[in-house]
Amino acid sequence: MQSIIKAEGVTKRFRQPKRYSGLAGSIKGLLSREFTEVRAVEDISFAIGAGEAVGYLGPNGAGKSTMIKMMTGILVPTNGSLAVLGRTPHAERMTNAREIGVVFGQRSQLWWDLPVRDSFDLHRRIYDIPERRYRDNLEHLCAMLGMDAYLDRPVRQLSLGQRMRAEIAMALLHDPKILFLDEPTIGLDVVAKDAVRKFLSEVNRERGVTIILTTHDLQDIEEICPRLIMVDDGKLLFDGELKRLRSALGARRRLTLDFATDPGPITLSTARLVSDDGASKHFLIENEETSLVDVLTELGNGHGLKDVALDEPDIEEVIRTFYQQRPVLVPQ
Amino acid sequence: MVATLRVLPFLVHMHVRSMMEYRGGMILGWVAMAFSYASVYTAIALIVLRFEQIGGWNWAEVALLLAFHLLGYSLGASFSFVQFRVMEDLVQRGNFDTLLVKPISPWAYIAFSGFNIGYVGHVVLAVGLMGWALSQTAVEWTLGLALYLLGALASSAMITAAILTMVGATALVWVRSRHLYWIYFGFWELARYPLNIFPAVIQAVMVTVMPLAFMSYVPVAVLLGKQVPLLGASAGPLALLAGPVTVLVAMAYWRFCMRNYQGAGG
Repeated sequence: MQSIIKAEGVTKRFRQPKRYSGLAGSIKGLLSREFTEVRAVEDISFAIGAGEAVGYLGPNGAGKSTMIKMMTGILVPTNGSLAVLGRTPHAERMTNAREIGVVFGQRSQLWWDLPVRDSFDLHRRIYDIPERRYRDNLEHLCAMLGMDAYLDRPVRQLSLGQRMRAEIAMALLHDPKILFLDEPTIGLDVVAKDAVRKFLSEVNRERGVTIILTTHDLQDIEEICPRLIMVDDGKLLFDGELKRLRSALGARRRLTLDFATDPGPITLSTARLVSDDGASKHFLIENEETSLVDVLTELGNGHGLKDVALDEPDIEEVIRTFYQQRPVLVPQ
Repeated sequence: MVATLRVLPFLVHMHVRSMMEYRGGMILGWVAMAFSYASVYTAIALIVLRFEQIGGWNWAEVALLLAFHLLGYSLGASFSFVQFRVMEDLVQRGNFDTLLVKPISPWAYIAFSGFNIGYVGHVVLAVGLMGWALSQTAVEWTLGLALYLLGALASSAMITAAILTMVGATALVWVRSRHLYWIYFGFWELARYPLNIFPAVIQAVMVTVMPLAFMSYVPVAVLLGKQVPLLGASAGPLALLAGPVTVLVAMAYWRFCMRNYQGAGG
């Protein structure tokens, strides 16, 4: 597969004036010429092929947004080389911008007081989209995202979910080859998240748009991106298929068994007991092959089981687990 | 480039439509601004009429100076002041990033998407005052002098837009830059009076590092045939050159700040 994004040893450091604590420290800071260097991205290399959907995952401050900003030409890498569609993004920012779409989950690109359609019209002019292509794309995107009902409403009157759909549609109006999304589902309710995920997955599958997505939400990755790049503290932790990560870490699902009364100590081979609150017992299922049915079969009848809850590990837990098992998982 | 030029009028159109969503507030703003200028000009008029002259300039000449100052400022500030005053907010909230992912000059986008129609009131006031002031002065009009006046006015607008752009651009590197407007408006106030009433140091600053003397005093003095301190006979051409030169400096500074833009995190 042809690489359309290639990062080799990309590093981004920010130079910040040294800060001191307390009021005296603030005054000292005014006079001080000392600086500290913040390493936001540290020697990261990867290649992304045309048509891929890649989740860029990591906790707050991991360097996700900084990497997106470098790929979109907003920031200049301190070291290393970065090519997007064969160009250096910051050096050819305008040309690069014509072939990419960018959605910021927490920053709107729509005009707040005007109908959505007006922002789209401005986008058409900025990107010089031929009238016919614009109309076809708008019609198609409206149908896919169900936007007809609010296309002529001022942006300020839209719900967050409607607005996010409009933001994504706008980013696709000029047929970009790559769509960058920085936390597109942040703050959305379950229904809106689902709609956005389904749409992005469809856009990737049917229109062949390469998707690079940063998120905290593992479900975004699961539904949209077969490939995962995981970072923390600016460093690359994992680059590979989500399946591979799950096979290594997915075993750590949390199982809670609630009984009518305390059945006493329970030991299972399919799940490890991690805490016992009497009538409520918490297990970890460490083998991905083990299903809930396997556990319940082993448990058998006669314990007065009242309720069962199985929780997938959240992103923080995956990363924590990843850290613990890191030497095993670092890609070769 | 041509595509960008086609977009700019539409950006103004979008901004005007946005403003029209809050007509009441917009009209109140105009009224408040009219009162503000009226009170300042009344105070200056009272001083000049009381002492008959200020630095050798009578009230009609000072009125011409004020009108030129206001007109040059309004034309330049309509493309820059309100827009670049919020630059530090754009940087702090990350909204400047959203401009950098569009195939358009971020300066052009900011300047035209915030084109301030509120300055229409300033322009009407300035043109009216200028008309009255010119009728009271004995300027011998020629085509060359009329063209000079228009050129000097364009230069004055360029100085305003360029300096306000530079103050805004500073936010790209320092994140906060709004306090610099205090310095600008300090000299802007001084530029409402004949330059020769100030000490030599201030005169020197206002024709070099903060060239606001070229906004109104220098061209109006040339128009009225008055001696210009420090510049002498070169005052006329320098008033025409000051605008383009300040714009070139502002362009270089804008590029420098863009190269050093780090965002504000997040």
